[in-house]
Amino acid sequence: PLWLSGDGLVERPGPSADGSPRPAMDELELVDYFKTQMRENEDVASAVAAIRTLLEFLKRDKGETIQGLRENLKAAIKILSSVDSSVAVSSGGELFLRFISLTSLEHPDYSICKKTMIDRGELYLERISASRNKIANLCHAFISDGSKILTHSSSRVVLRVLEKAARAKKRFSVFITESQPDSSGLKSAESLKKLNIPVTVILDASVGYIMEKVDLLLVGAEGVVESGGIINKIGTYQMAVCAKSHNKPFYVVAESFKFVRLYPLNQQDVPDRFKYTAEILKSAKNLAEEHPTVDYTPPSFITLLFTDLGVLTPSAVSDELIKLYL
Amino acid sequence: MLVRAVPGRRSRHVGEGCAGRAGGAVMPAVLVDVSEMATALAGRLGRGEMSGSGEVATATAGLLRRIVAHGRWSSAGELLELIRTESRRVIAADPSETTVGNIIRRVMKIVREEYSRLRGCGEEGDQDSLHKLLTSGGQSEDLSETLAPLRTNVIEAVNELLLELDGMQDNISVQALDHIHSNEVIMTLGRSAAVEAFLRDAARKRSFQVIVAEGAPYCQGHDLATSLSAAGIETTVITDAAIFAVMSRVNKVIIGTKTILANGGLRAVIGAHTLALAARHHSTPLIVCAAMYKLCPQFPNEENTVHKFVSPQEVLPFTEGEILGKVSAYCPVFDYVPPELITLFISNIGGNAPSYIYRLMSELYNPDDHQL
Repeated sequence: PLWLSGDGLVERPGPSADGSPRPAMDELELVDYFKTQMRENEDVASAVAAIRTLLEFLKRDKGETIQGLRENLKAAIKILSSVDSSVAVSSGGELFLRFISLTSLEHPDYSICKKTMIDRGELYLERISASRNKIANLCHAFISDGSKILTHSSSRVVLRVLEKAARAKKRFSVFITESQPDSSGLKSAESLKKLNIPVTVILDASVGYIMEKVDLLLVGAEGVVESGGIINKIGTYQMAVCAKSHNKPFYVVAESFKFVRLYPLNQQDVPDRFKYTAEILKSAKNLAEEHPTVDYTPPSFITLLFTDLGVLTPSAVSDELIKLYL
Repeated sequence: MLVRAVPGRRSRHVGEGCAGRAGGAVMPAVLVDVSEMATALAGRLGRGEMSGSGEVATATAGLLRRIVAHGRWSSAGELLELIRTESRRVIAADPSETTVGNIIRRVMKIVREEYSRLRGCGEEGDQDSLHKLLTSGGQSEDLSETLAPLRTNVIEAVNELLLELDGMQDNISVQALDHIHSNEVIMTLGRSAAVEAFLRDAARKRSFQVIVAEGAPYCQGHDLATSLSAAGIETTVITDAAIFAVMSRVNKVIIGTKTILANGGLRAVIGAHTLALAARHHSTPLIVCAAMYKLCPQFPNEENTVHKFVSPQEVLPFTEGEILGKVSAYCPVFDYVPPELITLFISNIGGNAPSYIYRLMSELYNPDDHQL
């Protein structure tokens, strides 16, 4: 195919029409691909979109060595984090890097290695797209008839769990916080209403007031840290402390690609790059004046975590991470 | 154990089963319909003829060995399916007797392990892990290959399990001296065979006192007290209502349990939660003596948890006729104790914290077998 460029018509390799590989992704293409993934499928987790983008990057990478590939990937992950600064993108990226290292250990020859990586990458993406269903299957058994559930902000995994429980003909009602500053709870409430689940939106400040009425709490997570605690939308920690003092079970649902190698000891330990959105990080003069969008909930407040690796107690999370990274 | 290999024949047709315990004769190879054996065990369970989890565990393991030896199966997959079908009948006879399900899951894990070993796949855990998700190239292991030595290997492994079950009580009791010191006051509830053996073993070398809460309405604490005083231990019996009042004088609380749940909680005899709360209030350590076959992959809030009730005759006898029509009386058998109230689990493999239970479970059972 012929392209118009500065010095007239030039021949440029087209998209796999003749089987030849496409050029490596540059920064703009990378960001564009990522944004397209997120836009086309509203339902997909940001970590999955990041992993898919990185896999495409890998397919089109022109390097000849593993070292070069890793360097390029690290740069790509940095670029993606500057677009979407959430923990999930970072954990997805780190998982992908780990995946590269593990595969490269098995095949010293680069071309076989690359082919194996691409095959396994596709397989992994297929598997994790089924992870939400797996979690929903595990979790809905813990919702009993007539229970009142309190949830926070909008989480697509929690939505899937509640959908599954509703289809299993269980009768339950949901309280959901509106979750400022972006009112994301309202969006979730709409989806729940469409499923004919009785839902009440409450103020973030009325969590304490409502706690005596609820039977269990169910939240998603943006990241699950090594200690078994979670990083989630601001307001989750408050809810967990309140639940503990009322002796209500606090359940977390999260896919396995959200496990991240962080060990915060308190709220200040969570790195700034996760606490604020990408735009604020770039433009703010003094971060101390900005409101963080996530907080950290320590493992002592969490009863159980439902993941696609099974039902885990918080102490089992670090075991899973060790199995992967060591 | 004698094994006669029949040349040229596969285990699908008439094969030779291997002998029973050490020194036994070769069992004739007859592939019978194993469902009669399963029904017999289910009958015994339903009639309550078996006393204590140890007996149930041994009987279940014996049944499974006979299924493996005489059942009609040719591959690991078929064997697992056969075990699953027969076990449903046995479990249905008494769903609250979780030991049956646990031993069945244990044997199923043994079958899977022997199969992997024969195929030379190595002994890596087949649990789902992040590592496995990232590195495995294909779908999960397929169990349909017929391997001739599988039958004998599995029977050998089940025999080892039976030997282990025999020695469980002793393995727990030998740890008694580490935990009970002279002149201590120990409190217990009801009658647990494991706790009884534990205390009797410690009494051989140390002198201490025991306070037994009777555990109404069946008051099995009385029997325990008689047995302990026969062993020369100074024993006091108290009513359940006096537990909190007496707790300030107690150094340790040691109880047994029916089941250990997957989150580290217990399903123990009624009154255990009260005892645990009183112990927590006084910062008294709560020690649970239980063998590993009591570990069950259920969680306490799941929809299919079983509660057992018995006749409230002991609580509100039929002689109180006029009240009976106006009042509902319940007599539950089990109590749930959350993991935060427990200090230590003492089992045949040593002492463990409740937060470590998930690890022990992953070593004993395969996640595919959690739902039988």
